Amino acid sequence: MKDYIATIVKNEQIAENIHAVTFALDEDVKVRCGQFGDIAVGGTHLLRRPIAICKAEGREITFCYQIKGEGTQKLKTMGAGTRLNVLMPLGNGFYVEKNEKKVALVGGGVGVFPLVSVLREYGASKEVSAYIGYRNKNAVCGVEEFEKATKFVGVTDDGSYGERMNAVQAFAKDLEAGNRPDVVLACGPTPMLRALKALVEKEGLNCYVSLEERMGCGIGACLVCVCDLTNGKKARVCKDGPVFKADEVTL
Amino acid sequence: MANLSVSICGVQLKNPVIAASGTFGFGREFNGLYDIGTIGGVSTKGLTLEPRLGNPVPRIAESRGVILNAVGLQNPGVEHFIENDLDWLKATGTCVIANVAGKTLDDYKGICERLDGRVDMIELNISCPNVKSGGMAFGIKPETVEEVTRVAKSGAKNTPLIVKLSPNVESIVSNAKAAERGGADCISLINTLTGMAIDIERRKPIIANNTGGVSGAGVKPIAVRMVYEASQAVKIPVIGMGGITCAEDAIEFLMAGATAVQVGTANFTDPYAMPKIIKGLNDWCDKHGVANVTELTGTLQLNQK
Ligand SMILES: Cc1cc2nc3c(=O)[nH]c(=O)nc-3n(C[C@H](O)[C@H](O)[C@H](O)COP(=O)(O)OP(=O)(O)OC[C@H]3O[C@@H](n4cnc5c(N)ncnc54)[C@H](O)[C@@H]3O)c2cc1C
Ligand SMILES: Cc1cc2nc3c(=O)[nH]c(=O)nc-3n(C[C@H](O)[C@H](O)[C@H](O)COP(=O)(O)O)c2cc1C
Ligand code: FES
Repeated sequence: MKDYIATIVKNEQIAENIHAVTFALDEDVKVRCGQFGDIAVGGTHLLRRPIAICKAEGREITFCYQIKGEGTQKLKTMGAGTRLNVLMPLGNGFYVEKNEKKVALVGGGVGVFPLVSVLREYGASKEVSAYIGYRNKNAVCGVEEFEKATKFVGVTDDGSYGERMNAVQAFAKDLEAGNRPDVVLACGPTPMLRALKALVEKEGLNCYVSLEERMGCGIGACLVCVCDLTNGKKARVCKDGPVFKADEVTL
Repeated sequence: MANLSVSICGVQLKNPVIAASGTFGFGREFNGLYDIGTIGGVSTKGLTLEPRLGNPVPRIAESRGVILNAVGLQNPGVEHFIENDLDWLKATGTCVIANVAGKTLDDYKGICERLDGRVDMIELNISCPNVKSGGMAFGIKPETVEEVTRVAKSGAKNTPLIVKLSPNVESIVSNAKAAERGGADCISLINTLTGMAIDIERRKPIIANNTGGVSGAGVKPIAVRMVYEASQAVKIPVIGMGGITCAEDAIEFLMAGATAVQVGTANFTDPYAMPKIIKGLNDWCDKHGVANVTELTGTLQLNQK
């Protein structure tokens, strides 16, 4: 973990309301899939923005972000050459065991971006099926990456791209058809993760979910970003997560 | 190289820059970024006798120039701290300040007794609701400030006691004096100002607790004014904080009357904020021919009106 001074090389729209920013660093950074960076947008914004690392190639790091509030609005306007501080890599990330051959990725909303990093890390060594849900066809992105998976099922809430269903329904459908993974890795809105958790519990599947929470320090010191564990304790999303075993967190 | 060391109530600090309670945990995480033995001190996350789970999330929000938080004193309890973190933190070489809180006078006395002689200083967070007086914070009225200070000091017989003042009060001067009367060895200020931030789409406060404590750059002028007023009113040393982001900010507090400063929210914006402030202090002193940083304390000269 280090606070890198990162220079924007590219910052462009990739789908409706979604932008991808690529930074150049002055040294290599080793990143595990599912880890995130805390981006300082500067000015009157005292908190950094936690964004999943989508791609890490040597000295180049790409984040994909949805425009939500003032910080991402500001980030969107920054052109090539702009230098920002990015604290990374943060969090634990996703990890697939040696004996887990078949991996299912279930993602929706901004949760699709950390899953791109999983596919990049495990796509060659594992049999990966990706079930990705978008709001509508204008929100579709990352397809060129997901198409590299053994299987890619892209769906939308309104049926304007792929079938009309959500990512969990797409996964459930394939499960019913007999495509049973050794491990499920998921990221997306809480209602989606809740539905997935119920499904994997019923099916007895091993599942990991990546959570989102508002953060202060991003490194585990301030206890701002906690989630509830099923054992009654609290865990820090930034340091103990953002990836948790689905049966260990309360959603 | 200027001499940055300061002495507060007989405790020697390498420099006057202390990590503010609640933003720095017990120091372990930041020690992964730099050697925290190089900073003047660490005020720990607020400790209570029993472990606390804190408030529901979201616990934080941002507003231009400031942040709001309502962590609700989540902490593993004082015994866990003594057993697992205290020796480690001492071994870093920084000055260990245990920040403590309670719901009753007995809580304050008990926790001070437990920490007495084990830490370099104890900092009393009196912005907590007093169960006996219907939840009004101990730190609001001078009478309860004095009472809680006296009771805590009876527990912290051998350890300098810092009373941390809340800014959400009628008169900071009255409360500073009350702490001094109660036997405080030092005062620190300011704790957070109570605020609210609203998500207009949901028509609800962003923070689950509805209100939160405001801190960060934007509160600095209020904090500087209060540090000035309080330091004029008492003889005991003053530790200033509220919005310090850079060395120049820290110098304002010193000139206003503080012997040392604490840095909180700036650690979130820039995790290296404190080492940068320490270096900046040294550079400023060198440039201005200040041999000892202690020469700056209370040197403010008001304009003639
Ligand atoms: C581990 C992690 C990974 C994430 N990865 C991505 C990603 O790959 N792509 C993406 O588009 N978004 C991602 N998010 C969500 C992203 O952090 C927020 O959308 C973003 O911070 C909003 O900032 P803003 O300035 O536009 O919004 P504002 O509302 O102006 O932000 C105000 C404050 O609230 C925080 N905040 C607001 N919404 C969220 C949220 N949903 N989660 C956490 N903090 C929030 C901001 O960080 C900021 O501190 C991730 C969040 C986490 C915790
Ligand atoms: C996330 C957070 C948690 C805090 N927790 C505590 C605490 O446990 N005890 C305490 O006395 N003050 C606590 N504070 C207040 C700070 O120590 C400090 O008084 C205040 O934030 C003003 O300084 P700053 O503007 O540099 O942050 C907390 C502040 C923040 C931002
Ligand atoms: S953001 Fe500070 S502990 Fe997670």
